[in-house]
Amino acid sequence: MGLQELLSTYGDMYVQALLVTWRMTAIAFAGAMLLALLVTVARVSPIKPLRKLGDLYVQIFRNIPGVSLLIICVYALPHLKVVLDYGVCVILTTTLVASAFGSENFMSGINTIGVGQVEAARSLGLSFGQILRQVVIPQALRSAVLPMTNLLIAVMLTTALGSQVPLDPPELTGLVSYINTRSVGGILAFFISAIGYAGTAFAIGIVGNQIDKRVRILR
Amino acid sequence: MSANVISMRDALYEEPGPKTRRRILVGTIVASIAVAALFVFIAWRFYVTGQLSPKYWSFFTKVSTWRYLGQGLLGTFQVALTAGAISLVLGVLFMLGRISRNKVGSAIFRVVVNFFRGIPSLLLIYFFFLVIPSYGIKMPAFWMLALPISLTASGVLAEVFRAGVNAVPKGQREAALSLGMSEGKVMRKIILPQAIRFVIPSLISQLVVVVKDTTVAYVVSFPDMLQNARVLITNYDALVSTYFVVAIIYILINYAINQASVAVARRSGAKVIARTEEEPI
Amino acid sequence: MSNEAQGMRPIIELSHVEKHFGKLHVLKDINLSVQKGEVVVLIGPSGSGKSTLCRTINRLETIDSGSIRIDGELLPEEGKELAKLRSEVGMVFQSFNLFAHKTILQNVTMGPIEVLHTPKAQAEAEAMELLRRVGVAEQANKVPAQLSGGQQQRVAIARSLAMHPKAMLFDEPTSALDPEMINEVLDVMVELAQEGMTMVVVTHEMRFARSVANRVVFMADGTIIEQGDPDEFFDNPQSNRAKEFLNSIKGH
Repeated sequence: MGLQELLSTYGDMYVQALLVTWRMTAIAFAGAMLLALLVTVARVSPIKPLRKLGDLYVQIFRNIPGVSLLIICVYALPHLKVVLDYGVCVILTTTLVASAFGSENFMSGINTIGVGQVEAARSLGLSFGQILRQVVIPQALRSAVLPMTNLLIAVMLTTALGSQVPLDPPELTGLVSYINTRSVGGILAFFISAIGYAGTAFAIGIVGNQIDKRVRILR
Repeated sequence: MSANVISMRDALYEEPGPKTRRRILVGTIVASIAVAALFVFIAWRFYVTGQLSPKYWSFFTKVSTWRYLGQGLLGTFQVALTAGAISLVLGVLFMLGRISRNKVGSAIFRVVVNFFRGIPSLLLIYFFFLVIPSYGIKMPAFWMLALPISLTASGVLAEVFRAGVNAVPKGQREAALSLGMSEGKVMRKIILPQAIRFVIPSLISQLVVVVKDTTVAYVVSFPDMLQNARVLITNYDALVSTYFVVAIIYILINYAINQASVAVARRSGAKVIARTEEEPI
Repeated sequence: MSNEAQGMRPIIELSHVEKHFGKLHVLKDINLSVQKGEVVVLIGPSGSGKSTLCRTINRLETIDSGSIRIDGELLPEEGKELAKLRSEVGMVFQSFNLFAHKTILQNVTMGPIEVLHTPKAQAEAEAMELLRRVGVAEQANKVPAQLSGGQQQRVAIARSLAMHPKAMLFDEPTSALDPEMINEVLDVMVELAQEGMTMVVVTHEMRFARSVANRVVFMADGTIIEQGDPDEFFDNPQSNRAKEFLNSIKGH
């Protein structure tokens, strides 16, 4: 199948698929950031059980293979009387895994600040809340820009898990297998999807680097 | 002198006074109860849905079950190690291309590296599974899995190696050149050995990504651990327990690999290069 | 300036202070009082507990028992009271600890704006005045990493001064500096002392101790071994520990 024929037959589906990939990426990333924030707060809290739970959460979800988690969500949870939509499972899986990495990024952002600056702020008479707002959070966020950019790209790549469940419309990876089971899409069908991914990753990388350049903290 | 060896994690909160200590105590009690309740709730969920019934778990006491899972795990390791080895070689080659002085060559490799870093391994697996055979090329399942995984990994590794090379002090190259070594020899004998030592922890933890990638083996019908788990499920009709056990095994393996990476990083003590790329999850 | 600030109540008063780091007994029955306008220099071998002692005064380190009073008030253990007290005692660290994401000016104005609720314009005007005083006014809009160590430490001093502290603590302020930058920081400290600032200084700069201190306190193994007039201490130390210590640093 040539490019012309491929595009005239499946062009709309590619656009749809790209949008599905983007949408799942955006939702999963937003959810992951929110969860990562909560988990990080738990992990730095002075309350031991919360710390331990946060650490356990991160170890579980940064080490579990996405496929394994997706399968549990799709096939095992219904046996526990928890039935989730296919699309929800893909997004949930991606969110959970990404939130573990997101929390790690926040933690290393906090770690780059150094104990001394917190002590200096304390010595000035700043309250705990002021220290967080003025010293810790702004610096942790700024130094997390680049790792979070890479995480966003990783989230997009992880949404390819969507090809393992029936999604309607399919996302970029699922579409390639969809096309190839119906007609011979060949290399082109693969490349169009690949460019959708790589192009998006490239764009995310550029934007992330720009933001990082603007907010990077000299040390 | 008080050396500040405490981490930021502990430094964020100062040594509590009596009121704060009481508040922390209350918080600890409440949190303990909540955490316990969470685990009880999960267990209860299993119980009321009958998933704690012995018929779903008893076959895990059989040697044959573990032998079968072990065989699958062996397959997982074979693919992971093969893909890992290939990606090491390709990663170095891509990196060398990327930093070469030849502008055209460097631009091409830049595109190649970013391409493989920017696409999901699953997509590439479909390429090997669906597209390549349609051109009449037959390939065993093992390679339909190992090759795409190693290609995406080598894109990442190329950047890891590049970070390592950049971390080797400039003086090293100049000193070696002034001894009369050729550029190629300087790279082989002086720069690369140091760069690789810097990035060994990153290389080890990249293995986690490779292990995770192997779990889509069922797409190409390669018998890895997850694929063998599916067979167990059909045999014993025990889906929930099997998938949970297998997930835990994967978590433990990857946890061990990550710990090894941390241990090596600590032992080498030398400058360790963080990966430029967050691991694709 | 009068060498002896007599008849004044102590600004800082430690009595029977004890502290352990795990099994290590780092402060043993410390009794020390610092009068208003007095400059007290803490010296001693490393590991003697002098930095820890300095840090207990604004509760960056807690104590196990004993009491610390600032301006007659017991050092609060937490909350607003502790924060208020800290705002009245300046602290200068060995490693400067400037806020890396803020400009020099913002570093100096943060305390007044956040804690004293000084209007921004006024805080900035005062900050510029202080930066001029310590000689880094031209750097006001740079970030800390763009400054030399000596400049950063002078900014750190200005940051503390902006809070109009009753007393200032210096925890080895020149130990992390390249030799050629030590004097620019010491000069600022000498000036402060001459203006009557109450200062507790942990340092290895013996010339500073001798020329500026009203009193030298020698510590070893968590104990105050001896204290007194600087000339007396340096010329005629009483204890063997002090003699050994002074011998070991001769030629510095």
